[in-house]
Amino acid sequence: MKKAKTAMKLLGTTSLGMGLVIVLFLSSERQVHRNNVFTRRYPHHPIKKLYDLPIGFDSYYIAGVDNDILFLGNTTAPLHLLRINIKTGDTSHINLNLPTRNLPFKAVTVQVYPPYFYVMDGTIPCIFKGILGDWNAKLWMKDKAYFTKAFPLDTSKIYINTINSDTRLATLGILEKRWDFRVSLHPEILEKQIDGMFDVDGTMVVSQDGKTLGFVYYYRNQFMVMDSMLGLLGRQETIDTVKIAHIELSRANKKGQVKMKAPPLKINHTAALYNDLMLINSPRLDKYEDPRMLDEAAIIDVYNWKERTYDFSFYLYRIEQKKLKEFRVYDKYLLALLGDMFSVYSLDEGQFNGTGQSATRNEKNNEIPAGSRMKTENL
Amino acid sequence: MKWNQKHSHRIVETISLLFIVLFIYAATSKLWDFGQFKVQLGQSPILTAYADWLAWLVPLTEYVLAILLLWKPQRLSALYAAFGLMVMFTTYIILVLNFSDYIPCSCGGVLEDLGWTEHIVFNLIFIALAFIGIILLEEHPTLNTIVS
Repeated sequence: MKKAKTAMKLLGTTSLGMGLVIVLFLSSERQVHRNNVFTRRYPHHPIKKLYDLPIGFDSYYIAGVDNDILFLGNTTAPLHLLRINIKTGDTSHINLNLPTRNLPFKAVTVQVYPPYFYVMDGTIPCIFKGILGDWNAKLWMKDKAYFTKAFPLDTSKIYINTINSDTRLATLGILEKRWDFRVSLHPEILEKQIDGMFDVDGTMVVSQDGKTLGFVYYYRNQFMVMDSMLGLLGRQETIDTVKIAHIELSRANKKGQVKMKAPPLKINHTAALYNDLMLINSPRLDKYEDPRMLDEAAIIDVYNWKERTYDFSFYLYRIEQKKLKEFRVYDKYLLALLGDMFSVYSLDEGQFNGTGQSATRNEKNNEIPAGSRMKTENL
Repeated sequence: MKWNQKHSHRIVETISLLFIVLFIYAATSKLWDFGQFKVQLGQSPILTAYADWLAWLVPLTEYVLAILLLWKPQRLSALYAAFGLMVMFTTYIILVLNFSDYIPCSCGGVLEDLGWTEHIVFNLIFIALAFIGIILLEEHPTLNTIVS
């Protein structure tokens, strides 16, 4: 009798324990796979394609815009720039001259802040500076600060991503020239979750006037907007639900290198900042989206960082299977690099004014609307 | 009978002690590197959605059970709970091994270095220990009151 009771109790405990874990497992499964408790809003035709332009190579990146002229840098030919007149689509090639070529360059990038251009390599570290149109750069900074990425904010300030030598963590900062160079680091902006290097990786964005800066994490649903002195204006979550970066890192090898063990879960790809709006290219599907959509287009989610809202989303369709690499919003245009193609879209200003109220407006387009295959959900 | 009881008492004491050491060790090493533990749980393919509060609940439960095991009047229920917890851990491992494409571990300390088979064996041994403890205590309820 007693034995039977004990056996019953043990059996009960066993099945309760197993049952509890299985229930947790099943419900967690459901939440994660349908993870995307979010749904996007796709208004009609927020952008309209003006033209596509083949640029010959897929190694171009956006270096900056000045007066309707877009400059593209090239990773394989670091001192070569491609000039594109946004309105006419005319192109011309530019070769930059540096006073020296004897430095051990490894990662040269060119960025434009009118009327200047900057040739930068954070591994040396050095920055050359020149005037647009002249194309002869002079050495401006050498050995003052290493950086992994850098974007000029005005004639004397550079927005950098670097390694804090005290903490060995990735940190955002400003490199500024007054009398001499001064680096101010802001370790409070990037928040460590795993190693403080890989997990805080992301896209740095700068508004056209250089007054507003942004950072969009690759591996979590968050972005930050800062003023030009890196004062935090706001942290905002995207519509995605992944708060903690899903990356797997190896232990450091003998050289101290740490590597990704598995492909990470990327939440945000590339981004652009335009007035009060943060535009983020997300490779993640919402609750209802057809998975095939990711092979056909890049999804851009539009947030208003001042109002702290999600406004709407739109598709940037691939051209012959070429993926979106980078995009920028300038004036009334959206400029996109897709593989070796360059595309220009015009914005529906009503929808991009930051209020997001006129998304239901349905204009008649006589050109091929970029959103002709969009969902017909309204705001 | 007397001999039996004396030894049974020793056995129950030893089993309880083993569990106390295990739970305190495991809970402490989890809290020691809490951030890491939380991330690991978050990456765990089957519990992701609940990682936030499970990260607190698991070590807390382990501490509470360790205390209850020390306290003789509650030892039997604590052994049942420990038995249940070990069953849960083992179920978790089996689910992870069979239903997910990548395998994380968040057991804490040296237990992390155990392989998965060793891990299951380790857990099964503890389940067996709890089982023995429960049977002995249920057979001789008076064991609880003996002061050695």
